[in-house]
Amino acid sequence: MAKQTAVVVAPGRGTYNKAELGYLARHHADKADMFAQFDAFRAQTGQEAVTALDGAERFSGAKHTRGDHASPLIYAAALADYQAIDRDKFDILAVTGNSMGWYIALACGGALSPMGGFEVVNTMGTLMQENLIGGQIIYPFVDDSWVEIPGRRDQVFAKCADISARADHILGLSIDLGGMLVLAGNEAGLVAFEREMPRLDDRFPMRLPNHAGFHTHLQKPVAEQGRARLGAGLFGQPDVSLIDGRGAIWAPKAGNSQALWDYTLGHQVYEPYDFTAAIRVAAREFMPDVFIVLGPGGTLGGAVAQSLLSANWRDMSDKASFQAEQAQTPRLLSMGREDQRALVTG
Amino acid sequence: MDRADIVHEAFLERLSSGVLPEGAAAEGPLEAEEAVAIFRAQCLSRNLDRRSRKMQAQGQGYYTIGSSGHEGMAAVASALRPDDMAFLHYRDGAFQTRRSAQVPGTTPAWDMLLSFATSMEDPISGGRHKVLGSKALNIPPQTSTIASHLPKAVGAAYSVGLAKRVGPEHQVLKDDSIVMCSFGDASSNHSTAQGAINTACWTSFQSVPMPLLFVCEDNGIGISTRTPRGWVAANYENRPGLKYFHANGLDIFDTWRAARAAADYVRCHKKPAFLHLTLVRLYGHAGSDMQQTYLSKDIFEAWEAEDPLMHSARLLRDAGVLTAEEIKAIYLDAEAQCTRVAEQVVTRPRLKTAEDVMASIIPPARDCAPSNGVAVADRENAFGKSDLRAMGEPQPMSRLINWALTDLMLEHREIAVMGEDVGAKGGVYGVTQKLCDRFGPDRVIDTLLDEQSILGLAIGMAHNGFVPMPEIQFLAYLHNAEDQIRGEAATLSFFSNGQYTNPMVLRIAGLGYQKGFGGHFHNDNSLAVLRDIPGVIIACPSHGADAAKMLRECVRLARVEQRVVVFVEPIALYPMRDLHDAKDSAWMDMYPAPDERIALGEVGVTGDGPLAIVTYGNGNYLSQQASKMLAEKDIQTRVIDMRWLAPMPVDGILNALEGAEKVLVVDECRTTGSQSEALLSMLHERCDLPSSRIAAEDSFIATGPAYAATMPSSDSIADAAVKLWEGK
Repeated sequence: MAKQTAVVVAPGRGTYNKAELGYLARHHADKADMFAQFDAFRAQTGQEAVTALDGAERFSGAKHTRGDHASPLIYAAALADYQAIDRDKFDILAVTGNSMGWYIALACGGALSPMGGFEVVNTMGTLMQENLIGGQIIYPFVDDSWVEIPGRRDQVFAKCADISARADHILGLSIDLGGMLVLAGNEAGLVAFEREMPRLDDRFPMRLPNHAGFHTHLQKPVAEQGRARLGAGLFGQPDVSLIDGRGAIWAPKAGNSQALWDYTLGHQVYEPYDFTAAIRVAAREFMPDVFIVLGPGGTLGGAVAQSLLSANWRDMSDKASFQAEQAQTPRLLSMGREDQRALVTG
Repeated sequence: MDRADIVHEAFLERLSSGVLPEGAAAEGPLEAEEAVAIFRAQCLSRNLDRRSRKMQAQGQGYYTIGSSGHEGMAAVASALRPDDMAFLHYRDGAFQTRRSAQVPGTTPAWDMLLSFATSMEDPISGGRHKVLGSKALNIPPQTSTIASHLPKAVGAAYSVGLAKRVGPEHQVLKDDSIVMCSFGDASSNHSTAQGAINTACWTSFQSVPMPLLFVCEDNGIGISTRTPRGWVAANYENRPGLKYFHANGLDIFDTWRAARAAADYVRCHKKPAFLHLTLVRLYGHAGSDMQQTYLSKDIFEAWEAEDPLMHSARLLRDAGVLTAEEIKAIYLDAEAQCTRVAEQVVTRPRLKTAEDVMASIIPPARDCAPSNGVAVADRENAFGKSDLRAMGEPQPMSRLINWALTDLMLEHREIAVMGEDVGAKGGVYGVTQKLCDRFGPDRVIDTLLDEQSILGLAIGMAHNGFVPMPEIQFLAYLHNAEDQIRGEAATLSFFSNGQYTNPMVLRIAGLGYQKGFGGHFHNDNSLAVLRDIPGVIIACPSHGADAAKMLRECVRLARVEQRVVVFVEPIALYPMRDLHDAKDSAWMDMYPAPDERIALGEVGVTGDGPLAIVTYGNGNYLSQQASKMLAEKDIQTRVIDMRWLAPMPVDGILNALEGAEKVLVVDECRTTGSQSEALLSMLHERCDLPSSRIAAEDSFIATGPAYAATMPSSDSIADAAVKLWEGK
């Protein structure tokens, strides 16, 4: 079979959950050396080893979803997954990611070394946890068929504007995430949204536990601390194109590494993250045969698929046409799903 | 074998052999990463060209004019900012691919291939043309083949300084943006280009800000006609007010150096610069052009040997920026990318019906902040005591238009007036008197004597949020510049899918009946040149109150509905005071309150007799006189003043004909191609009333006593009416 072209998508926070416990040991026993380096870094900072967290007897939401634990866990799992992609089967055209997945994408693409990436992720995750400014909620704007509900986005943004106009209330877009909007703000803003918007599927608005108000100006102090701790020297040229949270393409040797540092620890931290745009650019401009979503977890697949639909990619327009295409020619392979992982790793 | 394939093979072969064309080493301030980014954009543009030819061969693409040989323009894009509006030559694919890489979220391969496929999803033209352009990239689409985009570039550049002072609501350009326009060596000879460059020089020479970068892409040939060696440099090296820069357009380092220097000069000094790039044309003018029929093989093979991609490869390799293998990978990746994307774009829907095609002729309306009106004190201050006092008396049309302009300019800071003698003199007929004093010379602009430049100024300013009201001094002067309306202003919404607009109200003093003055070049009585342009609105008032109220509607149509509106002012009626008898003052009006408007399509009706006279302009005036004569013969009339000539106010006319028995069409314009032709067709198709017409002879207008001999008079109208009426 001819090699397929692929764009790789790195996951963000919230993807390492109970089912993922033991992921590193289960899938990546061969990468113990790399994990040992990560653990050594954590030892120096007095933090629990990643392998210990992964090898814990039971999953603890309070523990495993904390920024300073979840971020390095997800990084380790995703980077290891990237390394496990069978290169005899796939030509990787570009790498992108969602939210903290951008840090992972930088490492996958070679703009950060594995340890450099770990340092960035661990530092930023720890800073997020230490500061823990604000929070996130998620709210859908598509129906069960993944078709946009007319007016829903405008309704959400109007409500955000309405809430933000109140004294001591902050709420705004955090991530454009396929068929979902992730909003971020302070407690007053979040509570107002939860109270005033219609409840959907008995789940939404859904608060994301242990998440801060990522990708909003609330994070400016975190960005400043990150810039102080993480030098531009960590960043180099990628060896594969990267697509960032604005849909900008960083092609090998064609971007300035200082600018990459500046974006990663600036705009990326405190301006909305447009994951939908990143996938749209990947889909239209690179036109890969498949999208590979790195583990852990498989929850990002839905957002990728919804983003592809909104880009009219390969003539898919709703959930049914996506599933039909997927059944015929799998276009989305999630390594966090056992049934699809084998298709990627060979 | 297609020359595109020959050039492709040659690139790979020479890259592999290491034998690349000779040239200067990489030099200058261009940094390595930027150079690689430029090279990537060049490779993408080149492969888009080649793919377009493959698509055409497969019946999936329709137009293949390309950018090959001109890929140095990627370096020009790199030297500019994405917020610098760019009016591009049709060979500037590499400029667009490079600028795309500067604007996150844009997808140049997908977008441009959709355009090649004429897909409805083509983000610039909606499938109406293969054209460069992008709203996100600040690249309005152009019909650049005859350099007709240069006058508007001058206008857009002028607008930057004025916008900084005025702050129009829909301002697009930043205060420190510059405007860039590019064109070929052949089209630099076009009178439109010459006029635009001259206008920029004239403006700069008197130290009026003109942040404009002209880029001449000199490949030495215009389709089949060679440009004399040294012609472009000789022409532009020493122009007043214009700084000349030159670069080898095959060398991205040299091109970037010169382009950045030129852009810095323009941005810093707000003065125009002329960047002359020498480069080559590869594979003929367009896909259908067989260059071997007019060029010897030696010539185009020599051009191919100077392929700018080979030069870029040499420069990057020799500077140690990229290895030959990396260069090859970038090129082949771009080829594979274009192939993959092209396979998908051809599946996207295309335009099918007339309705599809026409959907963007009329632009979308835009939101405008509600006006709070004008403070009484400001208004009093603007008009002054004498004009306010005069408002207590009926006045002729010229005065009422002047006042309407004053009120409109007071209310809307984004309105600017421009034309020959409109400022200090106040117009040949005094219609713009005092406006310069009231609003300053930057909003009431005395232009140089060049109608293309006047209209270009308006079009360009409208790109930056202004509502220009250009004046053409005489209708006969429109003709040398009408392409600026027909080919440029009117088409912009059409092939930008409504994304770019150039709303304006073009005032033209025209039509006949000036007593003994001017002859045919001051008295033109044909509007045919405007009537058939899709989307253009033509208004023609016949007396002062209508003129004021219609002008307000025209400004609303431009400002809110983004329409291109032509307001034809009958010169002979400017000073008209009396209708039937000396000193009856029956053709003067009181100035209507500033909030009164006559809506588009609303006709004027005088009388309710069974004989209807449908007319406009001077025809209304004369028909009113004839109506009195006819009444004395016991023929009762109703005179219907169309007011709006395009689109024809069909419903208004048919409603006004309710109860009428016969229809006489009175047309002061020439029989052939005039409004009356369309009116009679409409009456034939839409109602059963007997009808006839009286129109002007197919003649030019004489000066002296016979000034009106070729046009309807009140007597001839009355005669025609009697003839029609008694024919029952």
